[in-house]
Amino acid sequence: MTARDPDSPSDDARADGTTTDATTDDSPTHDAAAGSDEIETRVGLRYTLRQVKRDTTARIGIYTVGFVTFVAVLASIDYYVFDYAVAEAVWYSPVSDPEEVQRLLPPVFMENQFGTGVLEHPMGTDHRGRDIFVRLFYGTRIAITVGFMATGIGLGGGTLIGAVSGYYGGWIDDVLQRVTETVYAIPFLVLVIAFMTAFGRDLTFAMIGVGITSIPVFNRLIRSRVVSVREEDYIEAARAAGVKDRNIILRHVIPNSFAPVLVQATLQIGVSILIVAGLSFLGFGAQPPTPSWGQMLSASRNYMLPAPTFSLFPGIAILVTVVGFNILGDGLQDALDPRINN
Amino acid sequence: MGLLRYTLWRFAQSIPVLIGIITITFFLANQIPGDPVEIMLGPSPAQEQVEAIQARYGLDRPAHERYLTYLAGVATGDLGWSIYYDRPVLEMILLRLPVTMYLTVSAFAFAIVTAIPLGVLSAKRRNEPADHVSRVVSLVGVSTPSFWIGLMLIIVFAFHLGWFPARGLPLPWASPADVRGASTQVEVVRTSLYHLAMPMVALGTLQMAQITRIERSSMVDSLQGEYVKLARAYGVPESTIVRKHAFQVAQLPVITIVGLGLSTALGGAVLTETVFEIQGMGRLIITAINNQDYELIMGTTFMFGVAFVVGVIITDIAYAYIDPRVTYGDEA
Repeated sequence: MTARDPDSPSDDARADGTTTDATTDDSPTHDAAAGSDEIETRVGLRYTLRQVKRDTTARIGIYTVGFVTFVAVLASIDYYVFDYAVAEAVWYSPVSDPEEVQRLLPPVFMENQFGTGVLEHPMGTDHRGRDIFVRLFYGTRIAITVGFMATGIGLGGGTLIGAVSGYYGGWIDDVLQRVTETVYAIPFLVLVIAFMTAFGRDLTFAMIGVGITSIPVFNRLIRSRVVSVREEDYIEAARAAGVKDRNIILRHVIPNSFAPVLVQATLQIGVSILIVAGLSFLGFGAQPPTPSWGQMLSASRNYMLPAPTFSLFPGIAILVTVVGFNILGDGLQDALDPRINN
Repeated sequence: MGLLRYTLWRFAQSIPVLIGIITITFFLANQIPGDPVEIMLGPSPAQEQVEAIQARYGLDRPAHERYLTYLAGVATGDLGWSIYYDRPVLEMILLRLPVTMYLTVSAFAFAIVTAIPLGVLSAKRRNEPADHVSRVVSLVGVSTPSFWIGLMLIIVFAFHLGWFPARGLPLPWASPADVRGASTQVEVVRTSLYHLAMPMVALGTLQMAQITRIERSSMVDSLQGEYVKLARAYGVPESTIVRKHAFQVAQLPVITIVGLGLSTALGGAVLTETVFEIQGMGRLIITAINNQDYELIMGTTFMFGVAFVVGVIITDIAYAYIDPRVTYGDEA
C-alpha cells in the first residue's frame, strides 16, 4: 500500500509520534546471553537511570513520581492494614462524615458563603464536610494503583501478542494484528465504558479495561522491535545452536526491546491515570466513599458556583502526577536516544 | 492507481475492522447483566407481555442467531430499536452525531490553528525562551484532564466573568425557533459559536499539546535535512527555508497524529459533553448505558468506531495526497 513497508502510514507515525526508536546497542545485553534475563534487565535499567540522573528536568520527573508513589504507599498501608485508623488519629478520616459538619469550607485564608477557611482544613472541606486534603492524599492510592496495574496489563498483553506476532509472522501475525487493530478502532474511553457496563463498574474492571485498550500500543511497539531484532546475527546464532523459539523470544528478543518499552510504559501510566480519572468522573471506577480524584471532581460539579476551590485541587493533583510521569518518560527517552546524546 | 481508487480500496479494506467492531460490541452488550424485559415492564410483568416483548426484540432466539440478524441489519442501515427512546437507534444517532462532529471538528480546528505556529516557533527558536514556554504549554496540555479544563473554564468564564454560557450547544444551522434568545439565523450562528468556545478549548487542548510536540520534533528534524543545508548554502533566507522547504515535509507526521488523535478526541467528547451538558453522542451512550438500552449501546459504540475509522481513512488519503512517495499500493 505504501512505499514504507510493512506498516501503513498511520502505523509509522504512531511509532514516530510516541517514541522514536531507541537503540538496542545501548544496553550491553548481547554478550550476557548465557545469564538469566533478570540480570541483563537490571544492567540496562541501572545504565538508563544513570543517564536520566544527569538531566535536570528528568530528575524533577523522578522526584515527582517518587513522591506521589511514596504517598500512595503510605495511603495504601493505612487503608489495607489500619482501615484509615492512622488518618483518623493524625488528621481526619477520608471516608466517613465528620460529627460536626462544616460543608464546603474554602481553603485557609479564604472566605465563601459557607464560612472562613481554617488551618485544620488547609484545602477546605467537601460537600459532606470531609477534609479535601486528606481525601486528595488518599486518592493518590487509586491513581497510582490504577496507573501501574493498567499499564502492567497492557504491557504484559502487548508484549506477548507483539512478540509472538513479530517473531512468527505469517498468518499468526495477520490474525493477531487484525484483532488488535479492531480493538484500537473503538475510541478507548467508549470501549472501556462498554466493557465496564458488561462486566462491572468497579475499579478492578477499570484497570482491566484500560489495560486492554493499551495492549495495541505495546503490541505495535514490541512487534516492530521484534521484526527488526529477528534478523540480528545473535538471534540467528541462537537458532542455529538449537535454542527453542520460546527461549529466544524471552531471553533475547524481549530484553533487547527493553528501552523503548520502558519509555512507553512510563508515558502510558500517565495516560492511564487520566483515563481512569475520566471514568470516575462519569461514575465508572472507584465507588463512594473511597476517595478518588475523578470522583471528587464529579461531586464538585454541583458546587462550582458557591465553592469553586472544591473543583480546583483534585485537578491539580491529577495534573502534577501526570506531568511527573510525562517528564520522566521524556527524560528516559532522551537518555536512551543516541541521537540526542550530549 | 489513482486517488479515487485508492480511496475506495481503503474503504473496502476497513470492512473487516467494522465487522470486528460489531462483533466486539455485540459480545459486550450480550454480557451486560440484567434483564431488558424487566427494565421495560418493571418487576413481575404478565407472561404474555414478556413473550410479546421478547418476540419483538428477538430476545427469545439464541445469541449467534441474533448476532447474524444484527450484522445483516447493520449492513442494510438498520441499527435496531432504542427501547428507552422508543425510536429507531439510527434516528437517535443521526440526531446526535452532528453535535458531536461539530464539537470534535471545531476542537481539532482550534488545536491545529494554535499548535502549528507554536510548534514551528519552538523548532525555529530551539532551546531559547520561546521554545521552553511552548514545551511547558504542551507538557501541561498533555497532562491535564480535559473535563477538568472544562470545569475551570466554566468557573472562570461562565460563572465569574459571564462571558460564555456554561451549558448546551445549539447547532449553527438549527432553526431560530429552537434556539432560545435567537430570532434570526445570524443570531443562531452567533449563539452557537458562543456556546462552542469553551467546550472546543476543553476538548482541543490535549490535541493542541500533542500536535505541538509532533510539529516541533518534526520541524527540528526537517530543519536538519540535507535539502535545508543546501538551501542555506545557496543563501536562501531562513524565513523562506522554514516556510517553503522545511515546513511541508514536516507536516506528514502531523497529519497522522491528527488521525490517531481522533480516538482520544471522540472519547474525550463523552467527558466534554457531560461537563457542558451537550446533547451529543457522548451523552447518548451514557444514557443508553444507564437505562440498559442494549441496541442503543451497540449502535452508539459502533458509530464511535465508524467515526474513528472514517477519520483515519481521511487522514490516510490526505497523507497519500501530500506525500509523493506513497504509491497507492501498486507494488504488492
